[in-house]
Amino acid sequence: MSSLALHAEKGRPVRTSLIRQYIPLLPPGLILLLFFAIPMGMMMGLSFQPKGAEAASLANYGRFFTDDFTLIGLGRTVLMSGLVAICVTVMAYPVAYFLARSRSPWRAVVFALAIAPELAGVVLRTYGWLIILEDHGFINNALLWLGVISEPLPLAKNMFGVVVGLTHVILPFGVLSLLTSLQGVDPNLEKSAQILGASRLSVIRHIVLPLTVPGIVSSMLLAFTMSASAYATPAILGGAGFKVLATMVYEQVLFYVDWSFAAVMANVLLVMMLIVAFIGSRLEMRLHKKLHF
Amino acid sequence: MKLAFLAASAVTLSSVVTLAHGQDLIVNSYGGPYEQIIQEAIIKPFEEQYGVRVIYDAVGSSQQDYAKIKATNGRPGFDVVVMTASQSLEGCREGLLEPMSAETVPNLAHLNPAISAVAGPCGAVHEIQYLSLLYRTDKLAEAPTSWKDLFNEELADRIILPTFANIMAAYLTQVMSSVHGGDLNHNIDPGFEAMARLAAQAVGFEQASAILESYIADGRVWAMPFWDGRAQLLVDSGAPVDYILPEEGSVPLIATLNVPAGADNKELALQFVNFFLEKTSQESWVQSYKVGSARPDIEVTDEARARKITTQADLDALLLPDLDALSANLADWGMRWEREVVPAAR
Repeated sequence: MSSLALHAEKGRPVRTSLIRQYIPLLPPGLILLLFFAIPMGMMMGLSFQPKGAEAASLANYGRFFTDDFTLIGLGRTVLMSGLVAICVTVMAYPVAYFLARSRSPWRAVVFALAIAPELAGVVLRTYGWLIILEDHGFINNALLWLGVISEPLPLAKNMFGVVVGLTHVILPFGVLSLLTSLQGVDPNLEKSAQILGASRLSVIRHIVLPLTVPGIVSSMLLAFTMSASAYATPAILGGAGFKVLATMVYEQVLFYVDWSFAAVMANVLLVMMLIVAFIGSRLEMRLHKKLHF
Repeated sequence: MKLAFLAASAVTLSSVVTLAHGQDLIVNSYGGPYEQIIQEAIIKPFEEQYGVRVIYDAVGSSQQDYAKIKATNGRPGFDVVVMTASQSLEGCREGLLEPMSAETVPNLAHLNPAISAVAGPCGAVHEIQYLSLLYRTDKLAEAPTSWKDLFNEELADRIILPTFANIMAAYLTQVMSSVHGGDLNHNIDPGFEAMARLAAQAVGFEQASAILESYIADGRVWAMPFWDGRAQLLVDSGAPVDYILPEEGSVPLIATLNVPAGADNKELALQFVNFFLEKTSQESWVQSYKVGSARPDIEVTDEARARKITTQADLDALLLPDLDALSANLADWGMRWEREVVPAAR
């Protein structure tokens, strides 16, 4: 009897809590539906309605995938985002490791410096880089004055300038992402390995790196997706010949007023990012297994 | 009871807001020196004459404003907007802009019919600039006279060009086509060939006019194409520059006042457009913003007469592109520019 009573008591609250569990999800769910899912659906629909045409067609997708100019733009987007993802993760890792393990009084200062780039707007920071990198900028002027170079180095209006600018913009996100992952690794594991005779390098190679693979992958994915959709930095630091999908979408919307083709480009960008995210998560699982066992 | 009181308060409040909003005219245009000049020359006299308040919205370029009108289906939240003849034509075709006539805007009857026709029924031409050749007076041995002077050896690496996303690029290609044996609308090949050669002379491309002019202001370049209104402002600022209307002629940038189809204060908006086209307003605008007018009957200083488009003869001498053809060709020309012109600069 008591077991029956218990069953009844158990059964009802479970159902109620299931409903209650979903209630808090309603407001964000509705907001996402209204302001994300529906506009995304509209954009998908728009991509099949070429400008000036009556009937829906795949013409704009055909145009995208047969034009070398747009394909080069897609390739440039992938290359730029990949380089930024690597630079951000490689540069953020030592900073995040210091922040996670150090007890130095400078820790707070380093943390403040690491997230400081986020305090200024992206356009402001990017113009700052332009002043430093352009032909008559700080670096080139200093090198010319010192007689190290006779012609300005091509530091801006190209891939190099954009990767530098984006790495600076996205670095704090990489640091925060890796910091969370590193803080999840028990410091006693490292101490134990060192007590057993492992060198510092060996500890990092065999203990810390394998345990922070999820953090490394999420930092790279975050940096990749943020770079692929960034507009201001490629537009300002890239120059006239540097077209990536985000700047091409902007031109199609505002200058050519061809929203349908812009929607195609945006959809290609979205699918490309989803593919990279999928590959990233698979890679994370594989590396996690490989490095653990 | 409490609910009824709240409902009554809400109704009263909303009617007060509507009333106050009804007396305000929201005009969207540009910031910077443009804003200061339009406030003094046009907006303040309009407010005094009509006893209304104008809220000036300087956010966004004309391209961004047009995108906003399109995205909101003609209800962008402003009543009057400054755009270009190309956007007027497209917006009219899509039913996003209010058509105007001599009945609703009587001063339209005083505008040059050919120029008015270029902008179509939804655009009131309130200003004309022409593509001029701006140059450094302290660097060039002789003042240029022709578009062909841009190809001179002394200007190697001393020219800056607009990116194609600045409509100046398409107009410049058309002018170069006309100068090199082609035409403005159909036989454009000579224009692209000339632009590729010109790109080899250039230090690069920039989109924003403010950045383009910084290159000549600080002496990094010695010559560039530029709209005559801003060129004159640069001359007036004391920079060692001057500008010419080259002997082969030039194309106009026809700026228009437009009223979105769903504007809240349509009647007042049309009155504002009409006020801007008044003879006295046009005279004031030409002399303060240093641009030309489509009203040939205006009286201006000799200096403005000499340098700006203010007479029937000036208007007749302009090379007028077919803006519908330009709009239809723009995407193809954009691709040609990226393939043929941009790589030539490297």
